[in-house]
Amino acid sequence: MTKPARFRIFHLLLIVVAVMAPALTCAAQETVIRIGVASVGVGGRQYFGGSAGATARAGDYVEQEFRDDPQVKIVWSFFRGAGPAVNEALANEQLDFAYQGDLPSLIGRANGLKTRILMASGANVPEYLAVPPDSDIEGIKDLKGRKVAIFRGTNGQLAIDKILAANGLSERDLKVFNMDAPTAGAAVATKDVDAVFGSMELFDLQDRGVVKIVYDSKTDNPAFGRRSHLLVTEAFEGAHPDLTARVVKAFVRAAQWSSDEANRAAVFELWAKSGLPASAYQQDFNGQTLKFRNSPLIDDFARAQYKAQAEQANAYKLLRGTVDIDSWFDLRFLDAALHDLNLDHYWTRYDAAGRPEGS
Amino acid sequence: MTMRGIVLPALLLLGWEVASRSGAADPRILPPLEAVARTAASQFRDGLLIADLAASIGRDLAGFAIGASLGIVVGILLGLSRAADLLLRPSFDWVKQIAIFAWIPLISMWFGIGELSKIVFIALAAFTPVVLNVCEGVCGASHQLWEVGRVLTFTRWQFLRRLFIPAASPSMLTGIHLALIYAWLATVGAEYFMTAGPGIGGLIIEGRDRFDMSQVMLGVVLLGLVGYALNHAAGALEHRLLRWRPA
Amino acid sequence: MISTPSAAIAGRRPGAATAAARHLGRVAAALVVPLVLLLLWTLGTRHGAVSRLVLPAPETVWNALLDMAGSGDLLENTRISLLRFVLGFSAGAVLGFALGVLMGLSRAAEDAIKPLFTALAQVPAIGWIPLLMLLVGIDEALKIIIIARAALVPVTLNTLAGIRNVPAGFLEVGRVFRFSHAQVLRRIVLPAAVPPIFTGIRYGLTHAWLALVAVELLASSEGLGYQLVWGRQMFQLDVVLAAMAVIGSIGFIMDQGLALVEHRLQRWRSAGT
Repeated sequence: MTKPARFRIFHLLLIVVAVMAPALTCAAQETVIRIGVASVGVGGRQYFGGSAGATARAGDYVEQEFRDDPQVKIVWSFFRGAGPAVNEALANEQLDFAYQGDLPSLIGRANGLKTRILMASGANVPEYLAVPPDSDIEGIKDLKGRKVAIFRGTNGQLAIDKILAANGLSERDLKVFNMDAPTAGAAVATKDVDAVFGSMELFDLQDRGVVKIVYDSKTDNPAFGRRSHLLVTEAFEGAHPDLTARVVKAFVRAAQWSSDEANRAAVFELWAKSGLPASAYQQDFNGQTLKFRNSPLIDDFARAQYKAQAEQANAYKLLRGTVDIDSWFDLRFLDAALHDLNLDHYWTRYDAAGRPEGS
Repeated sequence: MTMRGIVLPALLLLGWEVASRSGAADPRILPPLEAVARTAASQFRDGLLIADLAASIGRDLAGFAIGASLGIVVGILLGLSRAADLLLRPSFDWVKQIAIFAWIPLISMWFGIGELSKIVFIALAAFTPVVLNVCEGVCGASHQLWEVGRVLTFTRWQFLRRLFIPAASPSMLTGIHLALIYAWLATVGAEYFMTAGPGIGGLIIEGRDRFDMSQVMLGVVLLGLVGYALNHAAGALEHRLLRWRPA
Repeated sequence: MISTPSAAIAGRRPGAATAAARHLGRVAAALVVPLVLLLLWTLGTRHGAVSRLVLPAPETVWNALLDMAGSGDLLENTRISLLRFVLGFSAGAVLGFALGVLMGLSRAAEDAIKPLFTALAQVPAIGWIPLLMLLVGIDEALKIIIIARAALVPVTLNTLAGIRNVPAGFLEVGRVFRFSHAQVLRRIVLPAAVPPIFTGIRYGLTHAWLALVAVELLASSEGLGYQLVWGRQMFQLDVVLAAMAVIGSIGFIMDQGLALVEHRLQRWRSAGT
């Protein structure tokens, strides 16, 4: 229009920008820490259980660590599709940290995902086989030719393949249906499948009379358990080593609380936020110390385990190509956190043969 | 709908009620109708029903809009340019044969988690029928139209706007109608196979996981209702827009 | 027309030659885009310009395909998928045809059945899967039923439309010749309805193939859809692409086959008029 009108608009814009500027700069400085979990609670609850990571989530340890830093936001994402889904997210740079199992992480690494393992979270998780209450299946050997639900690509699959091999079977001897945990539970309840492999969620089903558990890897060979860890993307670690260190510290604190036998009942209660009752976790941990399961250490035993997992995954054709294990771990943050919190000797270190170090 | 039309559905519903209540059918598998209604009411009260419906319909329309508009542009291009048609059509014909659900793993890996994957998938589902039908419509537009346009010395743009688009509009609308149907199909599929979030597909899966047959039924009914509404709306739109054509 | 024999031959051969040349030209044109894309694909992945996660190199996909073929997996999975498909599709198409004819011939039947049919047809095949899973489990029955249902709807609707839309003139002819009901059906209605019925069959084929993939993605222990699941869970994009290629190719072959049959039928029809 005329000059006055243009001036008015210009002034208006100036005011708007002046007001928005602080807000914009604030937003620009905000850092979001995106943590992905290869699991999800019952009915989609945004919690999980069974590990130090679960404690960190349920007890808001990470949020506590950053409570004085308002420009840092923590976002947790839970994946019903477990490890494979987390890989998809990592491939699309949608996550910074991930709680994931060994096999899917190995697969991701073999395919070029650039990650670093920071600490263990959820090691030696036992594997179970459950069948309908009136089933005639009594053990692994009876699975030949039967319909079995397995969640492909998860750390469970590797454990299962080892268990099958130890009993002279392979996946080809079974009719394998790929199902996630809730689907598998429903399928075995309606007898659409004859058996399902899984972990502690099966105890809840057993307590409700839906299944009976006929195999427990704890009683067979502890090496047949699952293993998970906390990893970070190389990109995030490089850009924010300080934030990475603090996240690890928060997780280590959670691990320490979860390893104190005095807290045993409280730990299971906390994990019940996931929707699984505390008794399921209690039965899962039966006969094992909290320290054994919730240790964050990557010692020589763990390293050897990862190498063995990679080889076996290769042998079972779950993995293609070799994976460089040694360069995968970045334990600086873990060591720093242990030192800061005076926990250097809290957990036992095991050597490559599985014996406690210094014994 | 005549009286006769009501008989069969009514008998079916009656048979269902009787079988469920009398225990002839396992009530877990076949819950009485009022259980479904109760589930619907409680979901509605929790605001979940509206959230699920809104999420599904929102995705559907977003993906549809993107896929259909792209489809119209590409379809017109293919229809007008003989060269493009010769070069691109055979490849397109082959790619379209890949069943749409077979794209899910690929799209998941390329676009990751979140809404983007689902929307891309839905857009893809809507794209195909639109391209095919628009292309056919433009191709089939009589050559006499070219003559008319040339006589009236139309510009390219006027050719398009005044002649081809009206002539191709029946096919275009058929394509859009089909696209709506496929987009809805793809929406449900996306909600099954890609990460969970609010949505009717998620409602159904949750119901199945908890053996809550009434929730599954509720979801199926909702699917049908929305599908019907979309179908009906598309048909009505088609009817209105094509009224100018001689019968 | 052409009078002398030599002129006739001379008139025919150039025609045949140009037709063949044109056909070859069309095939060549069709191959241009795929070849260019293949070239771009190879170049892009060769120099690492495109990450392996986004697009595996073409040779990887080819190797994956050979691997699957070599281990017998491909044949086995294809066989199982095709078997399910053929069974489901035939059941659905036959039922659909019968239903369509029933509704087409009898207004009463149409009034009684169509509303319920339309209501049930509104729910896409994939929507029925969880429901049917709870009812019939996850065995072959589930897959066959879903595939059949997917084929049923288009076949029924198109058969109905085809029978209803027989031009009145044709029926007049029947009346003039005093055809019996059976003769009207056999000689006039069904032949006239063949094109729409065929369209219905083609749609049914596409939908049934789609339903097969969907149900195999959700609840199967073998088949081509299952191969896709394997690829996705194991993060092996090349397996996924290879499986997609097989699925697309089979769909393409089936559709082209039907198109050929349709073409023949059309020629027969126009030859008749």
